[in-house]
Amino acid sequence: MIEFYPQIKAVHILCVLLSGGLFALRGLMAQTRLAGVAQGAPLRLLSYTIDTVLLTAALMLVSILPGALFANGWLTVKLILLLAYVALAMLAMKRVHAPRARMIFYVAALATYAWMLGVARMHHPLGWLHGWLA
Amino acid sequence: MSRTRKLWLGLAALLIASFGVLLWVGDQVHQYAPPLPQAVVTSGDETLFTGNDIELGKQVWQRIGGQQLGSIWGHGALLAPDWSADWLHREGVAMLELLARDEGAGSYAELDAPQQAALRSRVQRELRTNTWDPAKGTIYVSPLRAQAMLVVGAHYMSLFSNDPATAKLRETYAMRDNTIAELDQRRAVTAFFWWASWATAAERPGSAISYTQNWPHDTLAGNTPTSANFLWSVFSVLFLILGIGLLGWHHARQASHEPLPPIPARDPLTELKPTPSMKATAKYFWTVIGLFLVQILLGATTAHYQVEGQQAYGFALANYLPYALTRTWHTELAVLWIATAWLATGLYIAPLISGHEPKYQRLGVNFLWVCLLVIVVGSFAGQWMAVMDKMDLSKNFWFGHQGWEYVDLGRFWQIFLFIGLMLWLFLVGRALWPAMRGGKEGASIVGLLFLSTVAIGLLYGAGLMWGEHTHIAMVEYWRWWVVHLWVEGFFEVFATAVISYLFVRLGLLRVGTATTSVLFATIVFMAGGVLGTLHHLYFSGTTTAVIALGASFSALEVVPLALIGLEAWDTWKKQHAAPWMARYRWPIMFFVAVSFWNLVGAGLLGFLVNTPIALYFMQGLNLTAAHGHTALFGVYGMLGMGLMLFCLRGIKPQAEWREGWLKGSFWTLNLGLGLMAVLTLLPLGILQLKAVLEHGYWFARSAEFMDRPLIHMLVWMRVPGDTVFAIGAMLIAGFVASLWLWPKRQVAATPLPDAASESA
Ligand code: HEM
Ligand SMILES: [Fe+2]
Repeated sequence: MIEFYPQIKAVHILCVLLSGGLFALRGLMAQTRLAGVAQGAPLRLLSYTIDTVLLTAALMLVSILPGALFANGWLTVKLILLLAYVALAMLAMKRVHAPRARMIFYVAALATYAWMLGVARMHHPLGWLHGWLA
Repeated sequence: MSRTRKLWLGLAALLIASFGVLLWVGDQVHQYAPPLPQAVVTSGDETLFTGNDIELGKQVWQRIGGQQLGSIWGHGALLAPDWSADWLHREGVAMLELLARDEGAGSYAELDAPQQAALRSRVQRELRTNTWDPAKGTIYVSPLRAQAMLVVGAHYMSLFSNDPATAKLRETYAMRDNTIAELDQRRAVTAFFWWASWATAAERPGSAISYTQNWPHDTLAGNTPTSANFLWSVFSVLFLILGIGLLGWHHARQASHEPLPPIPARDPLTELKPTPSMKATAKYFWTVIGLFLVQILLGATTAHYQVEGQQAYGFALANYLPYALTRTWHTELAVLWIATAWLATGLYIAPLISGHEPKYQRLGVNFLWVCLLVIVVGSFAGQWMAVMDKMDLSKNFWFGHQGWEYVDLGRFWQIFLFIGLMLWLFLVGRALWPAMRGGKEGASIVGLLFLSTVAIGLLYGAGLMWGEHTHIAMVEYWRWWVVHLWVEGFFEVFATAVISYLFVRLGLLRVGTATTSVLFATIVFMAGGVLGTLHHLYFSGTTTAVIALGASFSALEVVPLALIGLEAWDTWKKQHAAPWMARYRWPIMFFVAVSFWNLVGAGLLGFLVNTPIALYFMQGLNLTAAHGHTALFGVYGMLGMGLMLFCLRGIKPQAEWREGWLKGSFWTLNLGLGLMAVLTLLPLGILQLKAVLEHGYWFARSAEFMDRPLIHMLVWMRVPGDTVFAIGAMLIAGFVASLWLWPKRQVAATPLPDAASESA
C-alpha cells in the first residue's frame, strides 16, 4: 500500500479539516436555537461518516509506517488528545444542559483540536508551542 | 373455478412446460458437448495425451479443490487464473515465439507489424481449426502446436510443484507449494487443462463459433463475441422492460382496497405454548450463529490471501489451510448456516401452524441436528485431507473434495445430506399435515410453503445426477439445477410464502389475500427462474439455444425484483399495525432488508452480469463476487436472521429483548455489506472489466494485473467494511447468547407460558 501513502494521507488531512469544521459549526449551532438541527440525523450521520473515514485512513497510515508509533511520542499524545477531544465535544453537544458550561466545553474542545493539529503538523507532543519552547 | 384454483393450474402448467424445456436443453448439452478424445496425436502418429490422461487430470484437479482454485470456462474462484483462458493465451504466445524464431528473429517483438500480423493469423488458424476425428476418436495437432504445448506444459508442471522458478507466481495465485506432489498427476492435469482450452477456440463442426461460444475473449485466438450473443442481449433487455410494464399494469389493476382484517388486540402468538419439538430447535439457532462467525473468519482469510498468497502476517498458513480450502469452507458454510436457519424455521413453525405435536417429533428434531453436525465435520475433514494430498485419489470422489463450487461435498456426504433433507421434509410434513388436510382455510398457502420446502429438498437430488467420470459440461448443467433453482427459484418462493404466512398468523393479513398473492408471485418467479438457469451455461460448452433461452428467461427474473418496493412498503408498515407489533420490529426490519438486497444485490447487480454480452466479458471477475455477496447474504442471509429472530421470540416468550444490540447489528450488517461491495468488489471488478476489454480475459486474471499496487490497495479497502460487518455479526451473536446466558425478564401483565423449565 505504500505506493498510496500520499493519497491516503491527503484523505486523512481532508477529513481532519472537514471533521473540525463540521464540529465547529454544529457546536455553534448547539449554542443557539438551531440545536435541534445540529443534533438531527443528517448532520450527525455526516459527522459519523467523516470520522469513520478519518480514523480508517489513520489506521492505514499507521499500518503502512508503524515507525511513527515509536518516534518521540507525538502520535501517542495525539491519540490521548483525541480521547479528550471526543469527550469534550460530546459534553459540548448534548451531555450538559447549562448553556454557560456548554460554551466552555465547546471552546475547550476547539482548543484541543487546535493542539492536535499542531502536534500533527510539528510531529512533536508540544504542537505549535514546539518552536518556542524547544 | 375459483381464482386460487386457476392459479394452481397455471402454476402446474408452467412448471411442467419449463422443466420440460430445461430437460430438453440438458439433452442438447449432452449431445453437443465438446468431444473427449481417446488420444491427442501429432504428426507421425505420436501420442501427446491419451483420453485417460485427460480424465485422470480432471480428477486430480477436483482433488486439489477444482473450481475453488482458479476456474475453468469462467466458473470457479477469482484468484489464480482461469486455467482454460490462461493456457489458451500462453499456447498462442508460445506459437508466435516459435514462428518468429523460424523467421530468424530473436523474438516476436522484434518483427515488424506486417510480419507480426501474418504470424498472428497463422496462430489463429492453428487454434480455431477443429481437427477432431470422430471416427478415430483423436484430435490432431500440428508439430508447431505440439511444441508450444510442451512449452506451456512445462510451465504448468513447474507451477504445480515446488520449483523456485515459479515460487513468486504461486504466491500471487495463492497456491501452496507442491499443490500436486506426484509427477504423473501433475502431467495429467496439464492434459486436462489443455483439453479445456482446446474447446474454447476450436470451432464446432460446420460453424465458425467455438465450443464455448468464443469465450474467453482473446483476439489472438480469434475469440470475440458471437452475433447471437449480441442479439439475445438486446432482446433480453426488451423482455425485461416488457415484463416490468406488464407486471406494473397488473399491480395497478389488482390494487386491492380490501380492508385490513380486524387487528387482534394482543399478540396472538403469546397464547401459544411452544411445544417440546419447537423448543428443541433452539440449538439449531446457536449452530447458525457459530457457523456464521466461522464463515466470516474464513472469508477474511480468503480475502487476505489476495494480498499475501501463502501467509498471514508471517505465519505460513498455506501449509495448513491453503486458499482452496478457506474458500471452499467459506462458500459452503454460507449455504450451510442459511440452510440451518431455514430448517429450524420449518421445524419450529410446523407445529405452530397446525397446533399439532406428533409423537417423537422432538426426538426427530434432535436426531436431525446431530446428523447435520456430523455432515459438517465429516465433509470438512475429508476436504482437508483431499486438498492437503492426504487422501488416495480413488477415495476422493466419495469422501474428499468434488471441486464443484457450492456442491463440493464428497458424494457420501452429499447422499447423507440428501437423506437429512428428506428427514426434514418428513418431520415438517407430518407436523403440517393436519393443517393441509380437507380444504381448510389457509390450506393453500400452507401447501405452497410445503411445496417450496419439498422442492428445496428434492432439488438437492440434482446434485447426485453426475458421477465420477461425467463430462464437465453435464456436471455444470446439473450443478446449476441445484444452485440456481434454489436461490433464484424455490428459495424466493419460500421467502415470500413464509413471510406472508407469518403475517397471516399474526392476524395482519387475510388468508385469502395472502394465498392469491403468494401463488401469483410464485408463478412470476418460476416463469423466469426455471429456464433462467441457463444464464449460467452460456459458455460452458453449450449451443446457441442456451444463450437464447437463458438470456430471455433470466431477464424475466428481474421483473418482480424491480417492483419489490411495493412489497417492502407493505412489510414495513406492518410493524406499526398494532402496539404489540413492536415485539416483532427487528424480524420485520430484516425482512425489509431482504427486499432491499433483492433489488440491489439480485436485481441490479445480478442484471449487471446477466446479458450474454455482459457475462462474456465479466464472468469470473469481482463483479460476480459483488453480485454473489450482496445477493446471497443480502437476501437469504438477512432472511435467515429475520426468521431466527421470529422463532426466538416464541421460544423465549418472556425474555425482554436488548433492542439496542439488534439495532446495532442490523445497521452494521447492512452497512458492512454495502461497504464491501462499494469499496472493493465493484471498483476491482470494473478495473478487471477494463482489462478484459483492452487486453483479453487472461490478462484480467493474470499475476501481472493482480500484483498491481492499486489492486492490493483495493483489497485492503475491504478491512473497514468487513470490520463493520463483523461487529454486526458479533452483536447478533451476543444478542442470541444473552437470551440464554443473562436474560432480562419482562414484567408480564398476563401470565405467559412458562419458559423456565425448558430444555433445548
Ligand atoms: C437472491 C437471489 C440470488 C442469489 C442468492 C444469487 C447468487 C449468486 C451466486 C452465489 C453466484 C455465483 C458467484 C460465483 O460463481 O462466484 C451467482 C452468479 C450469477 N447470478 Fe445470481 N443470485 C441471485 C439472483 C440473480 C438474478 C436475479 C440474476 C439475473 C437475472 C442473477 C444472475 C447471475 C449470473 C448471470 C451469474 C453468473 C456469473 C458468473 O458466472 O460469473 N442472479 N449468483
Ligand atoms: Fe442464476
